[in-house]
Amino acid sequence: MSSDFEAYEQDFGTLTAEITNKIGRIPKLGGEEKTQLVLNVDKQLEEVRELMEQMDLEVREIPIQSRAMYQSRLKSYKGELEKLEKDFKRSRIAYSDEVRNELLGEEGGSSESQLIKLREERAHLLDNTEKLERSSRRLDAGYQIAVETEQVGQEILANLNTDREKIQRSRERLRETDANLGKSSRILTGMLRR
Amino acid sequence: MDNTGKEKEAIQLMADADKKVKTSGSFLGGMFGGPHKVEEACEMYCRAANMFKMAKNWTAAGNAFCQAARIHMQLQNKHDSATSFIDAGNAYKKADPNEAIKCLSAAVDIYTDMGRFTIAAKHHITIAEIYESELVDIEKAIAHYEQAADYYKGEESNSSANKCLLKVGAYAAQLEQYAKAIEIYEQVGSSTMDNPLLKYSAKEYFFKASLCHFIVDELNAKLAVEKYEEMFPAFSDSRECKLLKKLLDAHEEQNSEAFTEAIKEFDSISRLDQWQTTMLLRIKKTIQGDEGDLK
Repeated sequence: MSSDFEAYEQDFGTLTAEITNKIGRIPKLGGEEKTQLVLNVDKQLEEVRELMEQMDLEVREIPIQSRAMYQSRLKSYKGELEKLEKDFKRSRIAYSDEVRNELLGEEGGSSESQLIKLREERAHLLDNTEKLERSSRRLDAGYQIAVETEQVGQEILANLNTDREKIQRSRERLRETDANLGKSSRILTGMLRR
Repeated sequence: MDNTGKEKEAIQLMADADKKVKTSGSFLGGMFGGPHKVEEACEMYCRAANMFKMAKNWTAAGNAFCQAARIHMQLQNKHDSATSFIDAGNAYKKADPNEAIKCLSAAVDIYTDMGRFTIAAKHHITIAEIYESELVDIEKAIAHYEQAADYYKGEESNSSANKCLLKVGAYAAQLEQYAKAIEIYEQVGSSTMDNPLLKYSAKEYFFKASLCHFIVDELNAKLAVEKYEEMFPAFSDSRECKLLKKLLDAHEEQNSEAFTEAIKEFDSISRLDQWQTTMLLRIKKTIQGDEGDLK
């Protein structure tokens, strides 16, 4: 269940990255290329919306305990989608960056695309951090179990050593008893003869 | 229902057995098959004791077993006497620890007399355990554990001897007899590190020895850790050794926070047991004590 969700998340990530990229480029272009790109982005937004619906269904099928985490993620993704749509609309009617650049200088124009890129990077980084944390937690747990196993092993070895000595002693005693019995039986047969 | 009936039977048997013993004491009894009567009485005591056990009347059972044991002594059956004393001890364990110890000590004496040191050692351990748990007399417990360890050493059962010595060491350290504890742990550590089966436990013993050194004096601890690393290279790879080094550094800088940090880190992976936490707490107090002294 959750692996599907993760696959959807990855698709979501890649699609949103592409969309933001294209949205950034739209104001700079004009005419034919612009309309093509606009259509492209439209299609991709459609795909993203479908993905969201599928993720929604997935979340509903997940048992209630783990649902909270996925639901919060889903909410953040919906937020991202809405932002992307807004940016998209803005970019279609926005004056190209170049005009703004002429007016305001470099910094004013690039800040918008920078923000988009930053938001996108942030989402990816958070994702990665979470994955790393999960992996380190699992590794720690594994290490703990290994150490415990070692301690149990130590105890068992000590017990085995004690048992070994006991068995050796019993064997010695048994051999002694055997020798004594042999002697006594010889004495008895001797007595019988006399 | 069944048990109370058994108890009445048992009391009846005891009375019978007592009578038998008394009658056998008189001259006439001695003439007409005296020894048989005494043996019968002995058997009756044992049966009565078992019935008391069923009825869970431990004191009466112990009592009956003691009587049986004494009769066995009269009949010069040392082995049987000792076994009956042990049974008495076990019965008393549940009711009256002092009586139990008396019976067990009597049994141990008989066994050492006969030269059966292994069994004597085992029962020393039982006595020590009673002191440990019921009577909480740690000094006597240590004495018995030591005795047991000596007997085991005499019988070349080094593992069992080590087991007892470890207990002695742990209690000695608790009672602040650090020199003794250090000696014991070092001894056990060096003897186990050669044995392929036991070498994985050796690092724990060296760790404990180092902790005791630490409480006494920090410099001692440093020298000790170096000595152990030399003797036993695998010790330096262990997490315990790394913890010790961190603790030594923290202690040098009188930094109790770093000290606690290092301990917490170690604890998160493998829990520290009660004894170790007590020792570490004492060491920590010495740090804070030094800070207060304003050297």
